Amino acid sequence: MKEVIVMNEEIELFFGPQHPGAPGNVGFKLKLKGERVLDVELIPGFLHRGFEKMMENRWWEVNVVLSSRYCVEDPDNMELGYVLAVDDLYGVEVPEKANHVRTVVAEMSRIQSHLFWIMFMGAGLGARYIPSWAMAAREEILKWYDYLTGHRIYHHYMVPGGIRWNVPQDFNERTLHTLNTVSKIVRDIEEAFITNKIVRERTEGVGVVKGSIAVELGVSGPTLRAAGIPYDIRKADPYASYGKVSFEVPVGSRGDSYDRIKIRVKEIYESIKIIEQLLPKINYEDKAYRLQLPTIPPNGEGLGRVEAARGEHLVHVVNLRSRYPYRVRIRPPSMPLLTTVLKYIVSNEEVTIADFPVIVKSLDPCAPDIDR
Amino acid sequence: MVIKTFKVGLKYLLRRPYTRLVPDREGPLTSDRTRGRHVLDMSKCTGCSMCQKVCPADAIQMVKVEGPWPQNVKKIFPRIDYQRCTFCGMCVEACPFNALSMTNISGWYLITRDKKSTLYNPEKLSKVFETKEYRITMVKSLAEVQRLKKEGESNA
Ligand code: SF4
Ligand code: SF4
Repeated sequence: MKEVIVMNEEIELFFGPQHPGAPGNVGFKLKLKGERVLDVELIPGFLHRGFEKMMENRWWEVNVVLSSRYCVEDPDNMELGYVLAVDDLYGVEVPEKANHVRTVVAEMSRIQSHLFWIMFMGAGLGARYIPSWAMAAREEILKWYDYLTGHRIYHHYMVPGGIRWNVPQDFNERTLHTLNTVSKIVRDIEEAFITNKIVRERTEGVGVVKGSIAVELGVSGPTLRAAGIPYDIRKADPYASYGKVSFEVPVGSRGDSYDRIKIRVKEIYESIKIIEQLLPKINYEDKAYRLQLPTIPPNGEGLGRVEAARGEHLVHVVNLRSRYPYRVRIRPPSMPLLTTVLKYIVSNEEVTIADFPVIVKSLDPCAPDIDR
Repeated sequence: MVIKTFKVGLKYLLRRPYTRLVPDREGPLTSDRTRGRHVLDMSKCTGCSMCQKVCPADAIQMVKVEGPWPQNVKKIFPRIDYQRCTFCGMCVEACPFNALSMTNISGWYLITRDKKSTLYNPEKLSKVFETKEYRITMVKSLAEVQRLKKEGESNA
């Protein structure tokens, strides 16, 4: 007779960081009973670089180089958060052209991040073929970044007081061309992957975070909007040029993984809309794109808040009249996703080990952002 | 709905591969603004060490080079460690005498098996180009571009 082993005792399982289901360089300690996940504990620290401390030893304008590095997937929103905080400290209004270009670059970064996430999500579901088209679309955006900023991944294009270089003359056509290619691929992915029955069955009703609970858990960004709360800093507290464009904030109703998937895809289309509205507004004759700021900012504090691809990114800087910041504090959007939210989901519904990567990836945390 | 997946999937299956064969067929992707290896003009550098102070990665060290340098009394020039450099271009922006500039030589042109060869001495930095398809991408003045181009052509 065949012997059947029933696992009745609880076991501890280390999951990640070298696991295709793990979201980058973080690990988890899972408490399992059979297939069921009972508890989850985050193990961060594999990528800790001490950015906040490092920034205290570098000049104000040089810290832009560090600030893009907390999140590989979404570097420009991180840069924007830092330069907004420093602009606030100087108390300057940047030229209109710089604001427009900053917004375009930040939105491209959001599209790029969401495209990267499609690949990521596909890996969690075991689907590799279709999501790899998203990487081709992202590659087009990386080429566009190389054309505009000179680098593919970390751009250092924003500086306190504006943007680093003027935009090229063919900026408009080139950007539209890139957007065209990207939106075609996204449409195909939506048709072939997002509406696919298998994807829906794996994600619908899995990992539900709803309404006011999401606020209590400290969530922001697409996860909060999927929970049904239309909160977006681009609307609530417009920075850069967001006050001058019209766009929608997609909101979900059920708060499950599938809602989060749909919202991110809709956000790609909204970002494309924002860029298309801003491009005609950029004045190519305008020479003012960067303010020359004094090397030492005035005493005081500065605050920058941006809606990054994963949620609210807040930077607080303090200056005691020096070339170096006294303190830079960053509040990343990803931390609550892997701590409070995961614990809540695991304690609230029956999560099996097969669902776990799906839930983690639908939250789209950024591991380098957690460790900094 | 699964049928749709196959339909769209077939369309992509028949396309040419998106990936490129590097370095066999093609070079690294570069544009007019790609920031790559630096060029140092030793006749302009005054040894002010601004580039060393601004470098966020601590990639620059000032080293002594003997020779007739009237503008550089201390005879010190930057030496760049390409194991550390992030190609941010801050040093080019910070140089008050336009002595540093950048080219689009990047990617596998800079890859080496010998760790010691990532350290570029001032002499090596000032020698312009090893490849023919270079472009000056980050300088402060237009005259600098023309001068570097001429020098590159005579070197090639
Ligand atoms: S490009 Fe940046 S990292 Fe490289 S040497 Fe210059 S300042 Fe340093
Ligand atoms: S390269 Fe420029 S910044 Fe560096 S020491 Fe020479 S003159 Fe000064």
